[in-house]
Amino acid sequence: MNLAKLLTRTALVAVPLCLSSAPSMAETRGYVIGWFSTATYNDFHANCPQDKNGGGLKLKYRNLMEIGYSEAEAKSIVDKSVVNLGDDINKRINTRARVNGKPANVANYPEAVADPNIETVSGRYAFGFNLGGKNASNKFEDPDSHDKIDNQLWRAVGCTESFRATPPEQPYPEELSWATLVDSAPGWSIMVSGDNLDKDGPVTITLDRLLQHVERDANGKVMWYATYVVDPSPRSHNVFKGKIEDGWMTIDEGSNLFMLAEHPFYLDIGLRNAHMRLRNEADGRLTGYWGGYTDWQKFAYMYTSRPANGADYIGLYHSLKKMADADPDPKTGQNREISATFRMEGMPAYLASLDGKIVATPVRDKQPSTVAAK
Amino acid sequence: MKTLNRVTLKRALAVGISLAGIAAGYQVFAADEAKPAATEQPTSLRISPSQYRQSITDIFGSSIAITGRFEPETRDEGLMAVGARTANVSDSGLERYDDLARGIALQVVDERHRATLISCKPANAKAADEACARKFITETGRLLYRRPLKEDEIQNQIKVAGDSADKVHDFYAGLSTSLSTMLVSPNFLFRYKVVEADPAHAGQKRMDSLTKAHQLSFLLWNAGPDDKLIEAAVKGELQNKAGLQRQVDRMVSSPRLEAGVRAFFSDMLTFSDFEVMSKDPAFFPRYTLKVKDESQEQTLRTIVDHVVKRQGDYRDLFTTRNTFLTRSLAALYDVPLVETTDNGQPMHWQPYTYGENDPRAGILAQASFVALHSPAGRTSPTGRGKALREAILCQMVPPPPGNVDFKFVQDTTNPVYKTTRDRLTAHRSEAMCAGCHKITDPIGLALENFDSSGGFRTTENGVQIDTTGDLSGVKFDGPIGLSKAIHDDPATVACVAKRAFAFGAGRSPTTNSDDWKQIERGFKDSNYNFVTLLRQIALSDMFYAVPTQTVAAK
Repeated sequence: MNLAKLLTRTALVAVPLCLSSAPSMAETRGYVIGWFSTATYNDFHANCPQDKNGGGLKLKYRNLMEIGYSEAEAKSIVDKSVVNLGDDINKRINTRARVNGKPANVANYPEAVADPNIETVSGRYAFGFNLGGKNASNKFEDPDSHDKIDNQLWRAVGCTESFRATPPEQPYPEELSWATLVDSAPGWSIMVSGDNLDKDGPVTITLDRLLQHVERDANGKVMWYATYVVDPSPRSHNVFKGKIEDGWMTIDEGSNLFMLAEHPFYLDIGLRNAHMRLRNEADGRLTGYWGGYTDWQKFAYMYTSRPANGADYIGLYHSLKKMADADPDPKTGQNREISATFRMEGMPAYLASLDGKIVATPVRDKQPSTVAAK
Repeated sequence: MKTLNRVTLKRALAVGISLAGIAAGYQVFAADEAKPAATEQPTSLRISPSQYRQSITDIFGSSIAITGRFEPETRDEGLMAVGARTANVSDSGLERYDDLARGIALQVVDERHRATLISCKPANAKAADEACARKFITETGRLLYRRPLKEDEIQNQIKVAGDSADKVHDFYAGLSTSLSTMLVSPNFLFRYKVVEADPAHAGQKRMDSLTKAHQLSFLLWNAGPDDKLIEAAVKGELQNKAGLQRQVDRMVSSPRLEAGVRAFFSDMLTFSDFEVMSKDPAFFPRYTLKVKDESQEQTLRTIVDHVVKRQGDYRDLFTTRNTFLTRSLAALYDVPLVETTDNGQPMHWQPYTYGENDPRAGILAQASFVALHSPAGRTSPTGRGKALREAILCQMVPPPPGNVDFKFVQDTTNPVYKTTRDRLTAHRSEAMCAGCHKITDPIGLALENFDSSGGFRTTENGVQIDTTGDLSGVKFDGPIGLSKAIHDDPATVACVAKRAFAFGAGRSPTTNSDDWKQIERGFKDSNYNFVTLLRQIALSDMFYAVPTQTVAAK
């Protein structure tokens, strides 16, 4: 399913739901999303035994060899360069694609250069959900649930050096984007409603975009207990029925999720057949995973649109394309979606509707606010 | 003090600033080197950073940026405004004032401002122009020096402007040089108490009209007199009751009164201590630098709204449930505050009223008090109690002995003494500590629901916090109980009256005088209306009492 279809479907579903805003249940907790990234499972040696991709340095060698230098020449050029390879060489690397016989920017035309066949994840584990993928060889094992799960996005990107991150570290390009845009891009909220959110039972999870960007605290992290107004627009309004069972919050299958982001890395997040697995942390945060099928080209665009992050964006493009595992194009057969999982953290917050009514309150008395303790 | 102005002048000259006309009009009579008695009239007062800023804003407008650091202030009798009477200008301080002056002067004459701030145009912008320089210097100098300039002062400044303009072929550069010399002049940086013979009482002295004018304007507006007040002073109108009353009524009803009230309470509540206060972000992540600034503004807005706009009872400042918040402050206090402005817009201040059952009320429950008087990582009921005694009730708390043992107080993770009350109880078991802690701790412990940053809490290290206490025999429980006790304590109103007087006069009042008793009575009769108190002080004879050591008009 392409993005336009997903958008339309989400909007149509969301409009009647947004009229009632938060469900009237015994308790509604509010969170602002203060951490969001591709879900990484950082066991690099098990994931990528060939250690083939390397980082920015190896990418420079490969790029130089692709425009005609020998390996020895490439190493010599890199060794002599101080910061970058120089305007002339960079231009040749960047415009090595050929379109109608003319040089073209590789980031704009990744199909016009050969697939460098970067290494993809061959390990056993990845975070995610069983989205119903039929290819058993594609399946990972989720380290928490131990379910066989679909997460081909991780397979495609997980051997890239900048994805060797363990939370709270984020993959470098996503962290960079988050750190620079968090002070201006409207935030995202989660409302969790239920009769007793400390016990098992049915819940309703509502995702929205906010009218304000998140507030930072004295450590540069997201401030707790701030108040945000929920954007009344239906476009990023998502309501999911779900349950708490053994401390894990999940949503019923078959829903779609769409969130606008105004973020250079994530322009938006669209997930078909969305899944969630969340839990309340002892300190009051809500943490967990969102998964589903997403548009692989959109994810690839995040790299090709901002190539200066040390990742082999052409390699990532081709890997994502190859690993895509759903929604085949009826004409070409190329899958248009890829199974994916993202990790998130919600920080306790007050959420309000545009008319000033408080629709969700934070978990109380969790954040340290007393004397230093050993 | 003895050599203050001469030294200042010499050093100013040493850094190449022409101050030729500055000292010409006055002869400084030296005050004693020793700290003067609390009620002793000062002969001069150095203007504070906030008075400097307010004066520049009043004279040149708010678009003139004042960047740089000021000479440190000293607190005396609970106020920086009283400490100003012994304030000097150090070598580095003069350099700071010079930097500030040059920065301001350049802005005033720049192309963006000159059309509005300079009321004449030179015949040739590339040369000196005596007529235009005279006009600017006369008009501006009058406001800066808080009196009309004497002809020799004007001549000196015209020469400074002219020499500089000729040298660089720029009239405005010359004017800038002249302005910057006036801005580092003692006549701007210091307020002098000038006396004259009292025609109504042979052989006695009285404060001259222009001194009365700036004493009045710094009390009510925290800045020098405006043109109308100088005019009234020049005409001698401030020497008669009716004329003085006309000006006081005009000034009290001016929007500029808010600046005076803000400055007074910033001083009384020791907000200057915010400059050296910090919180450990590991434990108090919501206490950001923005929150630090906003917490002061919260209190000042609460005060201005209550005592100026609503003309409410001063005592109710300690019990009012009305305040103002931003979203950041609301997060610190863990209360919701809805703001529907677009993303990226500055946060707005919004009125906020705590609910009837909320355990928070009054300015003592605000971070500007409870956070200011707490160390970085823990609360200090002793510090809070001391601050309350000294700043709000005008009661002295003796300093701790040099060999005091803080082992119990600072051990915040002691498994036996889990709460601050437990630790202080153990600390007080040492006889040398017990005496003073009896004065401070019973009131400070009532504020233990506020952590070091001002956030609300009910437990400490998992133990329920006991907030019982007493003030002068009045027992209470928690911050609301304390705020009521402060509200009802006669020392609360007596203190603010004394401080307000001292803020304007630079000295404490003589409280056994009839004049003072009348002021106190008037304050009470007005239901403790703070603006009425200011008005009474401004109209009282004792506010303009002649210093025993004075600067005499030449």
